[in-house]
Amino acid sequence: MKMFRILAIWCLVLSATLGGGITTTAKAQMTDTEFSVPAAQPDVEMADTLRQDGKIYVVVTVLLSVLGGLIIYLVSIDRKVGKLERQLKDDLVNH
Amino acid sequence: MKNNWWKILAVLLLVFTVVAGMLAEVPRLAILNETIRNLFFHVPMWFGMILILLISVVYSVKYLRNPTIKNDVIAYEAAKVGILFGVLGIITGMEWARFTWGEYWSNDPKQNASAIGLLIYFAYLVLRSSFAEQQQRARISAVYNVFAFAALIPLLFILPRLTDSLHPGNGGNPGFNSYDLDSRLRMVFYPAVIGWTLLGIWIVNIKSRLELLRQRLYENV
Repeated sequence: MKMFRILAIWCLVLSATLGGGITTTAKAQMTDTEFSVPAAQPDVEMADTLRQDGKIYVVVTVLLSVLGGLIIYLVSIDRKVGKLERQLKDDLVNH
Repeated sequence: MKNNWWKILAVLLLVFTVVAGMLAEVPRLAILNETIRNLFFHVPMWFGMILILLISVVYSVKYLRNPTIKNDVIAYEAAKVGILFGVLGIITGMEWARFTWGEYWSNDPKQNASAIGLLIYFAYLVLRSSFAEQQQRARISAVYNVFAFAALIPLLFILPRLTDSLHPGNGGNPGFNSYDLDSRLRMVFYPAVIGWTLLGIWIVNIKSRLELLRQRLYENV
């Protein structure tokens, strides 16, 4: 149980830092590496506008929410099965 | 609880995959454009499927050597999760193909072969459900499972390479070879494969435990 609690807290901290931190790091990257288009293929379309507007982070947030929801669900099923396993073991001992 | 570290690893790797998969710098290539990021989500489905089906085969062989309910249950649950990954792989492949190859289904050798491979595994599910007697069901489906896996490998990795295919890594198509070497892609791709596979193994773990509980409940009643 302790393990899952640590995991939950870790996820929360991570999402919080990502939410706050991403925009600042993005701006820092924008100036140097992110948009330096290689001279060899200058006209290959990439989602640069999306990143300039910062909207790609909305996608990342949505994806993380979906992933987080699914994982929390999986963890809760895991715990329920674990509880059942322990109950069944107790029953067998008592009988 | 000490045995749960790999579940945490799975979560961390998946979070990394989503964040880095969307934000990391990727090679700029015509036609593919940003869809190259599907590499972190479509390909791990197939890698995960192969690895989880391998687990299924291992437990099928274990069942044949040592017929316990546990070996049978794990083999069956792993096969089901492997099939789920395969179905997701083929759907994501079709979606990707629509916008890079022009059609959802272009009868490409890789597409056809993976469809046949999945059909072989659907037959496993049908075969399994057609026995009423537990030991007979477990033994025959374990034997079938070994053959199914042996058929799947050439279907996915050998036959498509003998002809021309649009799919990277097949036929005369250099495909991802040139940028598989790209360390930027590898940095996200390998964690993605491990993360998605561990997620699948986690699901197998929960489903097997639940099924074993159910069996024990019936024994006690």
